Amino acid sequence: MTLQRIRLIAAREARAERGQPEGLVTAATFVATLILVESLAVGPLAAGRAEIASALFWIAMAFAAILVTGRSFERELEDDALDAVLALPGGRDAIYAGKALALAALIALVAIVGGALSLLLLSLDVALPGHLALVTIAGVLALPPVVVLFVVLALRLRSRGALVPILVLPVLVPQLVAATNGTAAAMSGDMAGAIGWSGLLVAFALVYSVLGLTIVPAALE
Amino acid sequence: MISTTAKTTSALRARPFLGAASLVALFVALWMALIWSPPDAAMGNVVRILYVHVANAWLAYLAFVVVFVASIAYLWTKRPVFDAIAVASAEIGVLFTGLTLVLGSIWARPTWGVWWSWEPRVITTAVMFAMYVGYLLLRNLTDDLERRATRAAILGIVLVVDVPIVHLSVTWMNALHQLPSVLRPDLSPTLDPAMLAALIAMTIAFTFLYAYLMTARVDIERRRQARIIEARA
Repeated sequence: MTLQRIRLIAAREARAERGQPEGLVTAATFVATLILVESLAVGPLAAGRAEIASALFWIAMAFAAILVTGRSFERELEDDALDAVLALPGGRDAIYAGKALALAALIALVAIVGGALSLLLLSLDVALPGHLALVTIAGVLALPPVVVLFVVLALRLRSRGALVPILVLPVLVPQLVAATNGTAAAMSGDMAGAIGWSGLLVAFALVYSVLGLTIVPAALE
Repeated sequence: MISTTAKTTSALRARPFLGAASLVALFVALWMALIWSPPDAAMGNVVRILYVHVANAWLAYLAFVVVFVASIAYLWTKRPVFDAIAVASAEIGVLFTGLTLVLGSIWARPTWGVWWSWEPRVITTAVMFAMYVGYLLLRNLTDDLERRATRAAILGIVLVVDVPIVHLSVTWMNALHQLPSVLRPDLSPTLDPAMLAALIAMTIAFTFLYAYLMTARVDIERRRQARIIEARA
């Protein structure tokens, strides 16, 4: 694995998304719809509470990450491009790293849309905007290493659309808890809490990245 | 390409003995748990559920650690026997995790006053159950032997992370669940000696039962692998 190859894979992913931004558009629309529906279902007053708003946002983000990642690999399969990428010289771990990196950038864009919508629709007060940004970045970094790992495992399997959320969501529980608590802490002015939860999210991102880089090459075929 | 044949192994020859040992050990452990050991000062006879509940939980831990080890062994050697061991252990682990949750719920009703509590040990166990149901689901969504084995092995390695989380959740977070009474950091069990003896007897009995079920299930899986290889040839 080389940094150059990771950069190439990530740039290729970004180019593909720019050419056909359906993954990004679908995920952003999905997040917006989900936040709206969730907020209506629990009621705008309850949804306006920091803990509830954070939970709704991160649940929507988890689904969006699954959607974007799934779409990215589906596109490869539809175009028979995955076999070509695998045939290129260099490690398969670079494919995992490149994909995770590019998808983190895409998910960050979706988070901006979803976050802005939540703040606007639910009239949320943010006590520590800088810390909110920190938690959001850490949360966005924590999602792709896990989601890409599980999407690769479900690649070319029957019913993979249903299988991926079943596999990913239980594994994402600690990340979702950390992201929700960290976001709520930043919104309510708990600086230490926001930093602590962000650190945990970064640790999750690192652990799953190492795990993915080690074992995903065996699953890529 | 992998190949397999269903051969009579020493594990298979040991199966009748393991079955007999399981029966005897379970009989003795049940006698100790239900008759010999004293009722708890606070919980009364409800404590007797815990002997089976804890043994179930131990077996679930053991089963998932075996899935982890077998998964590494499969990726390392590509020998299908390790895949057979992994799936057998995962199925047994899922069964006993489910039983752990059910028995815990039956115990919680008279003790905590509720069938279900959103406390860390219960939630992490339920999450572990969901994860390994997903593992079994993944296995069933492809007929390709190698693909299934490789992906299941990767998942088996990733999912084991939850086992220590389940065990340590009660010490990391404020929990309603009882703290560890036997597997404590200072290695000094806090149970009455008679209760501890009954619990150890039940755990040994369940371990024999696990070994017996494993030999039977691994045998079935090896035969299935052989049939798939034959059909492909």
